[in-house]
Amino acid sequence: MSVTEQGLLEREKDTMTLNMGPSHPSTHGVFRIIMEMDGEVVLSAQPEIGFLHTGIEKTSENKRYVHVIPMTDRLDYLAPPMNNLAFCLTTEKLLGCEIPDRAQTLRVIMCELARIGSHLVWLATHALDIGAMTVFLYCWREREMILDLNEEISGVRMMTSYIRVGGVMKDATPEWLEKVQKFVNYLPAKIDEYELLLTNNPIWLDRTQGVGAMTREEAINWSLSGPALRASGVDFDFRKKRPYSGYDNFEFDVPVGKNGDVYDRYLLRVEEMRQSRRIVEQALKNLPGGPCNVEDNKISLPKRDTLHTSMEALIHHFKLVSEGVNVPKGETYVPVEGPRGEVGFYIVSDGTSVPYRVKLRAPSFMAIPGMCKMMDGSFVADVVAIIGSIDIVMGEVDR
Amino acid sequence: MTSEEVIEKIQSMVGDDIQKGETHLGDAVVFVAPDALQKVAKALKEDADLRFEYLSDIRGVDYLDQDREPRFEAVYELHSFEHNHSVRVRVGLEEENPSVPTVSDLWKGALYPERELFDMFGFDVPGHPDLRRIIMPDEWEGNPLRRDYPLTIEDVAFSHNREYKSELVKPKPPTR
Repeated sequence: MSVTEQGLLEREKDTMTLNMGPSHPSTHGVFRIIMEMDGEVVLSAQPEIGFLHTGIEKTSENKRYVHVIPMTDRLDYLAPPMNNLAFCLTTEKLLGCEIPDRAQTLRVIMCELARIGSHLVWLATHALDIGAMTVFLYCWREREMILDLNEEISGVRMMTSYIRVGGVMKDATPEWLEKVQKFVNYLPAKIDEYELLLTNNPIWLDRTQGVGAMTREEAINWSLSGPALRASGVDFDFRKKRPYSGYDNFEFDVPVGKNGDVYDRYLLRVEEMRQSRRIVEQALKNLPGGPCNVEDNKISLPKRDTLHTSMEALIHHFKLVSEGVNVPKGETYVPVEGPRGEVGFYIVSDGTSVPYRVKLRAPSFMAIPGMCKMMDGSFVADVVAIIGSIDIVMGEVDR
Repeated sequence: MTSEEVIEKIQSMVGDDIQKGETHLGDAVVFVAPDALQKVAKALKEDADLRFEYLSDIRGVDYLDQDREPRFEAVYELHSFEHNHSVRVRVGLEEENPSVPTVSDLWKGALYPERELFDMFGFDVPGHPDLRRIIMPDEWEGNPLRRDYPLTIEDVAFSHNREYKSELVKPKPPTR
């Protein structure tokens, strides 16, 4: 086809529209961006989402509280325990029940392992997008160990559903705790290894420093959260500022960035992995004894061996399995700090065992307009770096 | 500030514009009419003692089954990083033409959740620069998160069955 036939000579505008996605390797899911380009510079980026819409919020309105938990796993599928925790904490706030210390510490261990796992996947894919293949393979190796730990404690590698309303699924065995300890001892040298490959690597610096920078005010105004917000200099972490699940008993630092660019977000997440490791180490050292579920059998299942001897336990078991937990009327929201930022469920209860309305506050969803703002004026190659640095998970964007 | 202090402060500042202020399960909750939302939101953001600089989320709720007046609600969750407190702003919306003014001029983060309100609940958001469907396809009919939208029945887009009549499988709107 000749140039005149394509209509290239009659073009009115001097810019080009470039489509990326919906199925593009760097978008880590199905996500489409339509970019208006002037040469190699992005003038504006228009995102399109919804390809992975599963209707989880609508489905939740027709399921009992206990049945919603496995669905929350599928939202942010890289760190399911955070979603479980956010859902359970909100339900427990409506129920007004106190969780035993052992369950809280086990929850913290699972959540921090998930944060490390999620950051490992982020580092792997982010580095691969920019062109560092080795880091990808290294990170995947360590993440596999976390998945093995998940499998041993909950029976499932990814979608653990380990955290339940009123406690956790089952108690951790001493063998499992020993394996977690081994992993905790093993990890620091590996994080140093990733840093050795990237932190002072001139190619990495060129590709990330000064790219996608956002000031403190912009980051707040565009509702970024988690590492992306802290990289811009906002010292806010829900674990520190509004401790839940006994996070106030642990010593850890919240890293804060300065420039708010892709490089700062990288440094911050790597440091967060170290801090999460510290928390798991302390949790293993000070793991309290006692039950790992609330005693109230109207909320958590009675012990299996009592079913054969106690009539009351049998009734409770039957009521819980057939009807579920009746949650008092009310509505509330409990934010937790997920690997991508503020995660929380707004639950409206009408007093039955089925939630009336469930709404997820998804950090990835809220970050997408801000992310596209960062792309304005950047090169097309930087778009990939910016998407990677925000670490979006399409499961929770489209819900 | 604690939730009680936040409510007290808001009542002393814009007491005439809010319908009710209360603490519910320890959270500060303010009820606002849609006309007063922008004024209240501006005050919440700009006051030095409150400083709600961060919009966490906007949700829609449809209270159809609870026989509550008004039927719809838009709920805004605001945080202040400086003072580490939060407030929830609940805006009741009428069943006929639910409409809530945009707050995206104050918080840019409101752009997407407001589009979601339009998409999932059919709320009109006057003042929004780009109000169109966000999660559902553009040609979708209905607003999926409304309580009278059926959960499982879906209209068939096309069929190889020549005798297929779309009226037969179309969902009937449930009666209130």
